[in-house]
Amino acid sequence: MIRKSNLFVISVVVILSMMLGLVSVAAQDDSGADLVIWADENVAPVLDGVKDSFAEDFGITVEIQQIDFGNLRTQFAVAAPAGEGPDILIGAHDWLGEFVSNGLVLPVDLGDKADQFVQVGLDALTFDGQLYGMPFQTENVALFRNVDLVPEPVETLDEMIEIAEQLQAEGLVQQGYVLQQADPFHFFGIQTAFGGGVFGQDEAGNYLPDELLIDSEGSIAAAEWLDEQVKAGNLVGGIDGDAATAMFAGGDAAFFITGPWNLQNFRDAGVNYAIDPIPAGDAGPGRPFSGVRGFFVSAFSDDPLLAQTFLTEVVATDGVMSQIVSNRASAFIPTLENQDDPDLAAFAIAGENALPMPAIPEMGNVWAAWSDAITLVFNQDATPEEAFTNAAEQIRTLIAEGSGE
Amino acid sequence: MGTINRTAGGLKRLSAINHIASQNSFNLILRFVALAVIDAFALWFVIRLTQDKNLPLAALIAATTVGINAFYLHPRMGPFRWFSPGLALMILMVLYPTLFTVYVAFTNWGTGNLLSKTQVIEQLESRLYAPEGSQSYQWTGFVNEAGEYKLWLISDDGSEAFLARPGEALIPAAEAHVGELDADGVPLSIEGFERIERNQVIRHISALGELTFGDEGRAVQVTNTTSAAELRPKFTYDAARDVIVDLETGKEFTPIDGTFTADDGEQLSPGFFVPVGFRNFNRLINSAALRGAFSQVFVWTFVHAIGAVFLQFVVGLGLALLLNDAQLPGMRYWRTLILIPYAVPTFISMIIWRGMFVPGQGIISTTLTDIFGSSPAWFGDGTWAKIGILIVQMWIGFPYMMLISLGALQSIPSDIYEAAKVDGANAIQRFFRMTLPLLLITLGPLLIASFAFNFNNFNIIRIYNQGGPPIAGAPIPTGQTDILISYTFRVAFSDGGSDFGFASTITIVIFIVVALVTLFNFRFTRAWEEAGENV
Repeated sequence: MIRKSNLFVISVVVILSMMLGLVSVAAQDDSGADLVIWADENVAPVLDGVKDSFAEDFGITVEIQQIDFGNLRTQFAVAAPAGEGPDILIGAHDWLGEFVSNGLVLPVDLGDKADQFVQVGLDALTFDGQLYGMPFQTENVALFRNVDLVPEPVETLDEMIEIAEQLQAEGLVQQGYVLQQADPFHFFGIQTAFGGGVFGQDEAGNYLPDELLIDSEGSIAAAEWLDEQVKAGNLVGGIDGDAATAMFAGGDAAFFITGPWNLQNFRDAGVNYAIDPIPAGDAGPGRPFSGVRGFFVSAFSDDPLLAQTFLTEVVATDGVMSQIVSNRASAFIPTLENQDDPDLAAFAIAGENALPMPAIPEMGNVWAAWSDAITLVFNQDATPEEAFTNAAEQIRTLIAEGSGE
Repeated sequence: MGTINRTAGGLKRLSAINHIASQNSFNLILRFVALAVIDAFALWFVIRLTQDKNLPLAALIAATTVGINAFYLHPRMGPFRWFSPGLALMILMVLYPTLFTVYVAFTNWGTGNLLSKTQVIEQLESRLYAPEGSQSYQWTGFVNEAGEYKLWLISDDGSEAFLARPGEALIPAAEAHVGELDADGVPLSIEGFERIERNQVIRHISALGELTFGDEGRAVQVTNTTSAAELRPKFTYDAARDVIVDLETGKEFTPIDGTFTADDGEQLSPGFFVPVGFRNFNRLINSAALRGAFSQVFVWTFVHAIGAVFLQFVVGLGLALLLNDAQLPGMRYWRTLILIPYAVPTFISMIIWRGMFVPGQGIISTTLTDIFGSSPAWFGDGTWAKIGILIVQMWIGFPYMMLISLGALQSIPSDIYEAAKVDGANAIQRFFRMTLPLLLITLGPLLIASFAFNFNNFNIIRIYNQGGPPIAGAPIPTGQTDILISYTFRVAFSDGGSDFGFASTITIVIFIVVALVTLFNFRFTRAWEEAGENV
């Protein structure tokens, strides 16, 4: 009797599970849109809002998945090879080197739309002579100045420090010039003002991983400048980006190097600001990093040609481009021409001599060591020369170890 | 049922039958439906994983599911039922990831070698090139009701035009008989075929992309919305010899350490992951990561874990003693109040504390500056950063320690204290000779667990100061508050990439360290237990 009932139960279990299993597998296969797009909190809502019109006008169903910008890169690297990734994702141009060396993205052919994009955007998304994405916005840092405290723009770092010291002495500000600590991205403008840099470049502007400039004469000169400011009490350590932003927004600082992502904060705070180019050091005007954001096509897309066509025909239109750009300069010329925001124009002037953030994979080994060197100078735990020379050694070690030597 | 067999097995079987018979048949069906659902999910996973070529995990899930079915269906295995969910989860969530980590430690999986060999071959074989002397064209598509396509091709220099159909030779414009052309030289229509306007190209691009127009002599493929070109596959994989052949140059690439490499050293990107034996272990031994600063990290890892548990325990126990004995009014409310830090998610506590320490901004820093004229560099100075971390740790952990101490205190019989008082022991003697040893018997394992947790407490290190401030002169970037696990994270996941193989290797080393420490601690606990027996 037990055997019989067992037999019956087993057959029921097997049949039921087969049915359920097959149904769910079948359901998995025919679900899903033509294209899946991963975008951040700025871009996703825009695309989501117009996806119905895509379906109507172009017969394409699009699924938008919103992913925090900071997680896009790593999630894509994990999901794409497993077949769970998107067809298209947005990203920053400096992810490109890693994406390409991992075989995660495909070259993009923008066809006759290519000449509607700003050259700096296309250059940033070009790796080894191949274009790998469609840019949609560009950004760079600049010097914010509190106009109520400092009515006239400053030309040089010396001038800036002089005014900052004066304001501090008069007790008008907590700190005349504020610099967020341990942040090479924002320090780069000063480093270049003294003739320093990260990597050397060839004639075509490609960064050369063998030519590290962190311990170059200019970079060390910039570190020495930083050291002087810390010793003179003009700069205080331990202030992170949020704290520095709060200080400038609250009128407690007169100068602050930051990017367009803080425009909204300062407008909300009602601080009266102006945006100037990075002041000049011993070696001329500072050159900030420029960053470009764009759309990439996944190497694991089922239909990359459709993805590419979607970008050039649907996204590369003023209607979409003008909405996805948020307080940044558009990389799409028709949209850029319609942006009449004076702040963005000021950023564009400050970014005229900007250098694209290096996208080569070796750049990944640079950030931590570079940031540590700046912090050590801030904390007075090492001399500027020691800190930057050792950082360069660390980076060379890491590059050598990473390449398996 | 036949005759009753008077053996133990027969009795058991009889009782089982009665048991089943007495059960509500609805319950029975419900249970088997549940089993069927589990099987269905498992089947779905196995099919999907097999499709993704993840055979080890598919096999493991299949085996686990067969096990669960056996436990539920075979009467003798009945007792295992209660045990099977835990066992299944343990196999899938602990055993498999552990084995996988060990496997990864012996591979070069990471940036540059992220994909599988099959994926890389597939990707290389899909690459195309334009042969020398080949033409590229501007195309206009035409489609009929049956969904068949024709292309009108105009060469880029404008000298030639063709009508192209899939798989058939190109027809020169003069022989195409297409009727009137527009200003750009494109036919307005082709008999039976409708012209595809630019804004509708996207509807057809997928279908067009799968077609090759023209014959072998001239095979044209659509490359974007307006251009088409004669393209040929760049690479082919010869499975028999395991080489990639470049069809353009004839060069051959053999796989070396997960990269297709030619004799002259040219490499094809991307690479794929392969087992590399003990290379990661060798790298760890020879790595700059193990020189200089490593010993500092190692020592602080222990100081941090022991210090955190000690502070949490001392404060927690102190409060527990207070709340256990003192007759404060509104005791219940005090207890609730003290538990609040425990109810706040720990990472929020960490961020709030971090904010309070910020120089010139946070309340701790500004208050200290107001009172003493200056405040320590809570992030800039290594020693103060460590003190800051321990303060945060104390705050996060003391309510838990208080809770378990309260419970343990209440389990100590009060009559032994009376006996001690009679013997003339004072309060301090009673605490150190009786309360503490008795507590440690109960709490010892919990303290060890807490130690093991803090040994790998990545969150607090990362949130407080990302391991900083930096150690001057370290061979690779290292922070003064880095513990082993955050150091691993630095080594393996620098901003630009991920080295899963190397990270797994370090993880194995950390596992060995934690295992040894735990073993050692258990010896200690046993010693306490023996001490407890003597009390």
